[in-house]
Amino acid sequence: MPNTARKMRALPGEPMSGESRLDELREEARAKGVVPGRGVDVVGGPIPRKPGYYGEPVVKPPVWTWEIPLYFFFGGIGGMSAVIAFGAILFHHVDLARAAMWIAVIAGAVVSPILLIMDLGRPHLFLNMLRVFKHRSPMSMGAWILTAFGTCAVPGLIALELHAHQIFPGTFDQLLRLVAGIFIFGAAIFGTLLATYTGVLIGATAIPAWFLHRTLLPIHFGTAGLGSAAAALELLGHRIASLNAIGLFAAAVETLLLIWLSVNKHGAADRAIHEHRSGWLIRIGEILNGPLALVLRLVGLIPLAAISFLVGALVSRFGWIAVGKVSGCDPEAVFASQK
Amino acid sequence: MIGEGIHSANQRRHSYVQDRVEVGFFTDPSVCIGCKACEVACKEWNQVPDDGFTWTGNSYDNTGHLGASTWRHVMFLEQDRQKGNQIAGTMSLGDGEDPFRWVFLSDVCKHCEEAGCLEACPTGSIVRTETGTVLVQDDVCNGCGYCVVSCPFGVIDRRPKPLPESGGAFKCTFCYDRQKSGLVPACAKVCPTESIVFGRLDDLRAQGQKRTQQLREAGYTDAQLYDPTDTSVRGIHAFFLILGEPEAYGLPPRPQIPTIHLKAAWTAAFATAIGAIVVTLCAFAFL
Amino acid sequence: MAEAHPVGFRWVMKAKERGATIIHVDPRFSRTSALADIWVPIRAGGDIAFLGGIIRHVIENNLFFRDYVMHFTNASCILREDFRDTDEGATGFFSGWNEKQRAYDKESWLYEGHPDLSFPERDLTLQHPRCVFQQLRRHYSRYTPEMVEKVCGIPPALFHKVADALARASGPDKTAAICYALGWTQHSKGVQIIRTASILQLLLGNIGRPGGGILALRGHASIQGSTDIPTLYDILPGYLVMPKGDGTEETLQQHLEKNTKPTGLWHNYPDYFVSILKAYYGKSATAENDFGYNWVPKLTGNHSFFEYLYDMADGKMEGMFMMGQNPAVAGANSRFQRTSLAKLKWLVVRDMVEIEGATFWCDSPEIKRGELKAEEIETEVFFFPAAGHAEKEGAFTQTQRMLQWRQKAVDPPGDSRSEGWFMHQLALRLIAKAKQSSDPLDEPLRALDWWYPEDELGEPYMESVLAEINGWYTNPQPGADGVVFGGIDREGNPHHGPQVEGFAKLKADGSTACGGWIYSGVLGPDKINKANTRSSKNYLGHGWGFVWPADRRIIYNRASATPTGEPWSEAKKLVWWDQGQRKWTGIDVPDFVPDKSPEYRPTGNESGLAGIPGDAPFILHEDGLGWLHVAKGLNDGPFPTHYEPLESPVHNALYSRDTNPVVNWFTRAENRFAPPGDPRFPFVLTTYRLTEHHTAGGMSRFLSHLAELQPELFAEMSPELARELKIENGDYISVISLRGGIEARALVSRRMRPMQLNGKTVHQIAMPFHFGSAGPIEGDSTNDLIPISGEPNVTIMEAKVCGVNIVPGRLPRGPAFEEWIKKYVPTGGPPNLHPEQPPPGAPGGEQAGGHGQHGKTDQQ
Ligand SMILES: Nc1nc2c(c(=O)[nH]1)N[C@H]1C(S)=C(S)[C@@H](COP(=O)(O)OP(=O)(O)OC[C@H]3O[C@@H](n4cnc5c(=O)[nH]c(N)nc54)[C@H](O)[C@@H]3O)O[C@H]1N2
Ligand SMILES: Nc1nc2c(c(=O)[nH]1)N[C@H]1C(S)=C(S)[C@@H](COP(=O)(O)OP(=O)(O)OC[C@H]3O[C@@H](n4cnc5c(=O)[nH]c(N)nc54)[C@H](O)[C@@H]3O)O[C@H]1N2
Ligand code: SF4
Ligand code: SF4
Ligand code: SF4
Ligand code: SF4
Ligand code: SF4
Ligand SMILES: [Mo]
Repeated sequence: MPNTARKMRALPGEPMSGESRLDELREEARAKGVVPGRGVDVVGGPIPRKPGYYGEPVVKPPVWTWEIPLYFFFGGIGGMSAVIAFGAILFHHVDLARAAMWIAVIAGAVVSPILLIMDLGRPHLFLNMLRVFKHRSPMSMGAWILTAFGTCAVPGLIALELHAHQIFPGTFDQLLRLVAGIFIFGAAIFGTLLATYTGVLIGATAIPAWFLHRTLLPIHFGTAGLGSAAAALELLGHRIASLNAIGLFAAAVETLLLIWLSVNKHGAADRAIHEHRSGWLIRIGEILNGPLALVLRLVGLIPLAAISFLVGALVSRFGWIAVGKVSGCDPEAVFASQK
Repeated sequence: MIGEGIHSANQRRHSYVQDRVEVGFFTDPSVCIGCKACEVACKEWNQVPDDGFTWTGNSYDNTGHLGASTWRHVMFLEQDRQKGNQIAGTMSLGDGEDPFRWVFLSDVCKHCEEAGCLEACPTGSIVRTETGTVLVQDDVCNGCGYCVVSCPFGVIDRRPKPLPESGGAFKCTFCYDRQKSGLVPACAKVCPTESIVFGRLDDLRAQGQKRTQQLREAGYTDAQLYDPTDTSVRGIHAFFLILGEPEAYGLPPRPQIPTIHLKAAWTAAFATAIGAIVVTLCAFAFL
Repeated sequence: MAEAHPVGFRWVMKAKERGATIIHVDPRFSRTSALADIWVPIRAGGDIAFLGGIIRHVIENNLFFRDYVMHFTNASCILREDFRDTDEGATGFFSGWNEKQRAYDKESWLYEGHPDLSFPERDLTLQHPRCVFQQLRRHYSRYTPEMVEKVCGIPPALFHKVADALARASGPDKTAAICYALGWTQHSKGVQIIRTASILQLLLGNIGRPGGGILALRGHASIQGSTDIPTLYDILPGYLVMPKGDGTEETLQQHLEKNTKPTGLWHNYPDYFVSILKAYYGKSATAENDFGYNWVPKLTGNHSFFEYLYDMADGKMEGMFMMGQNPAVAGANSRFQRTSLAKLKWLVVRDMVEIEGATFWCDSPEIKRGELKAEEIETEVFFFPAAGHAEKEGAFTQTQRMLQWRQKAVDPPGDSRSEGWFMHQLALRLIAKAKQSSDPLDEPLRALDWWYPEDELGEPYMESVLAEINGWYTNPQPGADGVVFGGIDREGNPHHGPQVEGFAKLKADGSTACGGWIYSGVLGPDKINKANTRSSKNYLGHGWGFVWPADRRIIYNRASATPTGEPWSEAKKLVWWDQGQRKWTGIDVPDFVPDKSPEYRPTGNESGLAGIPGDAPFILHEDGLGWLHVAKGLNDGPFPTHYEPLESPVHNALYSRDTNPVVNWFTRAENRFAPPGDPRFPFVLTTYRLTEHHTAGGMSRFLSHLAELQPELFAEMSPELARELKIENGDYISVISLRGGIEARALVSRRMRPMQLNGKTVHQIAMPFHFGSAGPIEGDSTNDLIPISGEPNVTIMEAKVCGVNIVPGRLPRGPAFEEWIKKYVPTGGPPNLHPEQPPPGAPGGEQAGGHGQHGKTDQQ
């Protein structure tokens, strides 16, 4: 009985019937992997099908556009500048502290919020971010961190400037310096978080290539922020050993991260990091703010090193968002990440 | 288990919202006829806009996937497997050589026990309702888009311009408005073969077990329930009976709620933060 | 069924849940096949051979329901000696063929010695060489499983699975039902395919019993209603016969004599016919003037839509009303339909959206290709916005013959009005005009009894129409019991008496009026609109709606009891003879004379129902028997015979004749047919519906939520064919036939499979026909490929099979099309390319029109 279908086709001389020809094609496909020439993508057809359900994404790729990587970049610089400012003020580099605080305020407290709001689907409802405080939502935490940073950085800068220009006499000025110190300390604390939470933000998602590197991301973003802050200050003319040391440290860490990334591969699950356009962005970014920046510093080309690091930090931020989009559209990545 | 008229769970008029019990959907492809009435009823009731007239060539599915303007999605799988003991023409006689089957499954937001979208939402726009379902409050959502990447099932999405109410995140509301007034969700109401069954979650889970058993005995050897209770998602309110592997339906085999990554990520973040401060201070102290 | 009747399919799934075996016979693996237990891929047009094979199987293996067949069917009736079967010499012709007329002289098909079919001679042993049973056996003896495979491409193994499943599911305590629709009707032999199913069901004892029957899954929501109270040219309400104008029916007397049967229910024909005349003409209809018989229009030929179309094309027809149809897309050979519409002087379109039928003059492919120029088209189109079904009240009649009343949900938007309003207002105006004139031609209008009351918007009360359909006593008794609408007319004058209880009360003396005898009882003297009742008392649904005739839910249900009157089995009991009370009782309303005992035997002198024995359930027939052999009423033969489709890849494997001899080819240059096995058109095209769309798309293509689900025309084809033609899934292809060419996307799927016919591989493709040039989504209309043809009994076109070719790539638009198509479809030459096709104007087909009485077959 099973073979009636076969028998009826086995008529000698007749063109071989559809189904058995299809069997042949399947054989061919199995042997050669793929059948030469045109074919059709149907179950049982000679051409292998798309993975999952017609290759449709299993998770949704991020809807975020260029604002977000820029926000990551400026948030990083702004946040970490506050840290440098704090160090500077402790060790009496007032001018450096001022410059750092200006960067902190402009990058972290002005540009960042603007970018963040621009990216919203409904910008006018931005303040709803502060309706609730959800420690389990990095986005919520981020909103609060950004707010806190702003509330510290702005008064910190004002106090610092008043102090620097000696507007008020003696004791009050001492007080101002203390106040500035306290605010800048706050800014530094929230600054570090502002620079690193973004790693948590994309690390704790359903996008395979992101969550598989949830520990690397905050370190990378934080370090990139610190290095960028130092680099920016150096480009503004503040050439002091401390900044160079910070720059060296950041570049060194980034180099290590680059090695970690290329060692700690997850195959199909995070291939977006190693393949496609997204892969290239990551590589270029990491090389610019990793090894290249390091070497340039060691040979003393500080400005070039600074520029290389800044560009690298920027590119890799775009890289990671691109990775998210590619990885989110890749059903096999999701399946592999859950094996 | 098609009920008789008004005795079927789908036609009963009763509000579970008042008595605050958990409700759910049990979707059974073995009786789904792929009519897409659920898709249309959903769009009509919820006034979801049409999102493009593109022909995909993926069997009869021109909808693609769930999204901001598609809250129900009927899948059409053409597989070279046998459906129970079905004889699909000349090719699957006897020992079922070279078999073929066409499976329809109506996909929807899973209304997770641990919902990634809900946890992620910074505005508190996404809430858990009295019936345990997950609801987006459109007037609160500011479109930050974080829920989009936090859904392990790729359900919720931000509606692009120029569609009406664009910018906000949308997904199945479980017809919360209908449920409050004792109406059955639109999709379940219209489903002609009760492939979508609406009811109390515990009843449905029992029914799901029973049905799977039944089908297994009836020759559907690859019938299984898709309800990830053993992962961090801890089960879904809209669960499915599937024939074959979840992957074929674009369903993640072991979905996890992203919040499980928080600990590792925050630890790294704090470490980096402290590291940055220490390094900076040292840099200033010793140079 | 899952595709086109999804809500009804709920109950099929319920049956499956209860263990029923679902078998789906279809060229394509459709959504229905996906849910069936057995899918039987069949070559389009092969169904008579397939069912014939099962009939043979059932007879040869003694699987038929002997007692049922012996007593309830005409298996035992003796045929005339001069009857010759198609089988003799395998010619494919029955005796009585007249080549010149291209029609049968049906004399020799009758019962021996009983030309009027009453009181036939019977041989209950079924042994007589000329008895119907033996003839039936001979007729199908060559329909062997091997032959079925040759014709239909169904291998014996699969054939036996189906045959056994069907036989297993039939018998005293089991029944099997057959559902069909266009897959069977839209063929050059549609009626005969359904006849084959009836023979099979009669042999298996599946008619008149619960869970049995042959269910015509109907079309438009009330398509059953529109054959009962017809929109058809050849019958009057209740399947009364349209008077013929050939001189044989000059007087009422002649008409009645011709159509009144000596025995059986149709003996009452005069009661029904005169009552309808009284309903039309009221007081004006008197015994003296033959109750206005002469005012009734007479048939002068086949007045089907296609005949009209040809008149349009030839400029013989000036104007047309297009109400609730869209022939520019749905009509066979739609390209020709559109060009013909363009020849009209005026066209009234009533629709809810601006369909192609109203816009062909500006956006049809012909305009885009420059074949027609908008400025040269004289047709003046009047577009009236129509109210949709939710915007007006009325009744739907569904497959089970059940009338269900429909309330109005919302007011129609703007100036939209119902059909009722339009017709009513039009009639009032025409009658007013007629009253002015003295032209005898206007007499019928002047005589019309237009009494219907209306509301403030001028909408007639639909229940007043239903009341007239139910019928009343004509003697006016305003205010008496059982009188509806006060018994007065529009002017307030006395108009009608009490409602009649049912059709049994109708009289031929003018004392009753009835607009549709079969519906009588739906709104009786109790003044309850039964169509509007909604509380069913049992599983048959008594108390929900009204099922004609007389709320009998299962027709011919006398057959659910043995010849002696007991139920065949406990499981399948429905009605039975109560010896104590000496009457028929049961769960259903008996479809039989209530007190006629099973033992009753007529002497041979009775007339009407008295002429039907107590063990003969089919009371509409003169002999009360189920007809395996149809002696009267069909134009193309007493036994269903396999003929090839008019366009076929192969020759007829069973007979020397390829096609149905009596078919109407509508031969014309624009409507050519390819000869059998024409290499230019090697593939079989079949057409079908998608759940997502409705017919010509007026109700779906224009709605975004439906349109987005199936936004483009596509053609389903097998991977094998796709590879042969180097086509990939999703590619654009052009599909060509002798009628035209269209563009579609290729949907490559194993749901389509190559057929093996006698060793020859035949590829079938399938296309939906919902698309057109108007609305948000556009697509070519598949009917540009389909030829116009006329099935011999009901003139339905063969929309389910034709020969096509496929050219990969897009269809040239604009003027380029003409040049391109010429490459594949040379013009010129004789219009009749098919060897069996007569030249234009040859006789044949004009006798079609078999809806009346016996030929109650589902058609669109
Ligand atoms: N969604 C939806 N529902 C509808 C309609 C609609 O347009 N859309 N239209 C309504 C109307 S007007 C009607 S008349 C009904 C029609 O209802 P159906 O008749 O069910 O509709 P079709 O799809 O035209 O034809 C049914 C099947 O016949 C198959 N077929 C074709 N040729 C053959 C053959 O030779 N033999 C056999 N056995 N099968 C064959 C086709 O592949 C198709 O799957 O549906 C009604 N319901
Ligand atoms: N190739 C091929 N051709 C076919 C078929 C096939 O299977 N294959 N099927 C055939 C069949 S079965 C049929 S029934 C025909 C159908 O062919 P048509 O009847 O010509 O096409 P429809 O789209 O059903 O036309 C109905 C129109 O009535 C309008 N309408 C709806 N409700 C109302 C109302 O209340 N009043 C008025 N005035 N208009 C209303 C709708 O908008 C729609 O435009 O197609 C036939 N053509
Ligand atoms: S499926 Fe996605 S959108 Fe639905 S509740 Fe779960 S996480 Fe939220
Ligand atoms: S997009 Fe709206 S719903 Fe989604 S997380 Fe942001 S605010 Fe919440
Ligand atoms: S429950 Fe309501 S919103 Fe959700 S899919 Fe069904 S109809 Fe749509
Ligand atoms: S309505 Fe029911 S049967 Fe139809 S597609 Fe949706 S789930 Fe399937
Ligand atoms: S449209 Fe109406 S008639 Fe057709 S299946 Fe749906 S409910 Fe039934
Ligand atoms: Mo129809």
